[in-house]
Amino acid sequence: MLGKLAIQSLWDRKGSVVLSLMAMTVSIFVLLAVENIRHQTKENFSNTVSGVDLIVGARTGSLNLLLYSVFRIGNPTNNIHWQTYEDIASSEQVKWAIPISLGDSHKGYRVMGTSKDYFQHFSYGKQHDLEFAKGQAFDQVFDLVLGAEVAKKLGYQLGDKIVLAHGVAAISFSMHDDRPFTVVGILKPTGTPVDQTLHVSLQGIEAIHIDWQQGVKIANSGLSQADLEKANLQPKSITAFMLGLKSKIATFHVQRAINNYAPEPVVAILPGVALSELWRMIAVLENTLLLVSALVFIAACLGVSAMLLASIRERRREIQLLRIMGAPPMVLFLLIELEALIITLVSCVLGAGLLTACLATLKDYFASQYGLHIEINLFTQNSMYLLAAVVSASVVVAVVPSLSGYRKARAK
Amino acid sequence: MAIELANIRFHYSKRPNHRVLDIPAWSLDAGEKGFVHGPSGGGKSTLLGLLSGLISPVEGQVTVLGERLDTMNSRQRDQFRAASIGYVFQQFNLMPYLNATDNLLLATRFSKRKNTRALNNEIKDLFSALNITEKEWSVPTRDLSIGQQQRIAIARALINKPKLLIADEPTSSLDKANRDAFMELLMPMVAEHQMTLLFVSHDLSLSSYFSRVESLDDFNHLQVSK
Repeated sequence: MLGKLAIQSLWDRKGSVVLSLMAMTVSIFVLLAVENIRHQTKENFSNTVSGVDLIVGARTGSLNLLLYSVFRIGNPTNNIHWQTYEDIASSEQVKWAIPISLGDSHKGYRVMGTSKDYFQHFSYGKQHDLEFAKGQAFDQVFDLVLGAEVAKKLGYQLGDKIVLAHGVAAISFSMHDDRPFTVVGILKPTGTPVDQTLHVSLQGIEAIHIDWQQGVKIANSGLSQADLEKANLQPKSITAFMLGLKSKIATFHVQRAINNYAPEPVVAILPGVALSELWRMIAVLENTLLLVSALVFIAACLGVSAMLLASIRERRREIQLLRIMGAPPMVLFLLIELEALIITLVSCVLGAGLLTACLATLKDYFASQYGLHIEINLFTQNSMYLLAAVVSASVVVAVVPSLSGYRKARAK
Repeated sequence: MAIELANIRFHYSKRPNHRVLDIPAWSLDAGEKGFVHGPSGGGKSTLLGLLSGLISPVEGQVTVLGERLDTMNSRQRDQFRAASIGYVFQQFNLMPYLNATDNLLLATRFSKRKNTRALNNEIKDLFSALNITEKEWSVPTRDLSIGQQQRIAIARALINKPKLLIADEPTSSLDKANRDAFMELLMPMVAEHQMTLLFVSHDLSLSSYFSRVESLDDFNHLQVSK
């Protein structure tokens, strides 16, 4: 009966109640959205690379190495010699090694020189292998494999000719226009930086730089595509490489050995460790966002309480009537708490519903614009904790008007 | 004895020097229909507050239906009031957004009665005895006329079968025709349920309905400062 009374009483004051409800709904929507996107970003982020035990590059900070080798952000400090790669890759504990060579781009998208092993061993998410949507891995020197987003954004199909640019700027004035590549494969979307990468063979990278010195095209050497394909295109240096080990237990041992590699200063990092280090930096921003949305929610809570407090004044006679019918003052306290609770619960449902609708609508947009693959699942443990906190907070804040109702009921 | 007051003194805590009630002795027999009149602000509502247990006297004994209200705690008084006292105000006797049936059910909630079929039948009987048509049962009571509302107010006050019915100026908002209709419904109900009635009003023309008529000033011995 008390529940019915609370609902009918709220319905009777729908004007102010609906406004409070809207404020509450919006605040819960923001809170859930921030938490959800935060969660998804973190998932996406830590899913960027998996199955790789060590990443090796020229000596630098672990974050820098991670950023340029996995996220294609920033620039490598130095290259490492091919000999170093061969030495380490051939050591006993190494199961597979993937060389990476960066430095060129195409319309703002990074080009990565690698070996065919990349498509076999590199994985993302929970051990998802790279898969081809169309075509296959590169075979010839001037073959090229596109990431899903590059293909979609630039509208490339198999067989298209692509000219790479020297350097990584979106607009480049030095093009490798004499040596176009042919698209032979397009990868399926992964939600990782792989989608934004053009993959060519190390030989391809070597071939387009054959008549370049110090980053400048010297002169046309007169070598034809066919000549180049036959030429010895063994790279002299690469940017970094990824290692898969035979035994995970050996990881630290191998890492130490690489860090002490005498012929050249190189560093090996554990991608998982570096990822969480990077995440901790980003998490500050995420936490700030969450804090701001929590404050928005508290404001909405106070709004509801203010509305209830104001209503007590106009409900003086209702309170008097309930008292004369034998309602103890505690009933008034509970009634007003119940009203706050109903507003909060309805707002939770509306907020969650609104978010689900928004995510469903914007899912494709996020995937195409930000490479962020969102799962519409609001019922994560964190969201549940958050909603529980929301309900508790509103009950706590509603103590103020409830207590006022209680006092009003006691006073004759 | 339905009501027995002895050596009652009362003032509101905010105005300790302004005594509102000073009643050496006053009582009302069980089954009696008492009419108390007096000017507004004369302490009538305070007296009813004492009798219903909403307030406690500063001094003295309040015995209602054989129970000492002044020695009960507030929880006990609330329960006693819910179960044993029916109360009709001048206005605002009903939750305006609830319909008549829900208003009666709400009243039964505090007397801890279960919502059963028997209770629902009782409500229907009470409505028909008070000439409340079926159409009026399910309308929010604010949409009904004041006359209709006051009839439902009687039903609300009687649903818990109280032994004592207190009426605080219940007819003051009604015109003469509605007032007479109200009284002609109320009095037989009181007789039928063998209740004690304490009716407070400033309208002396109603006194003909009552077996006992008194002015509050007759037993409330205040030294009036003029």
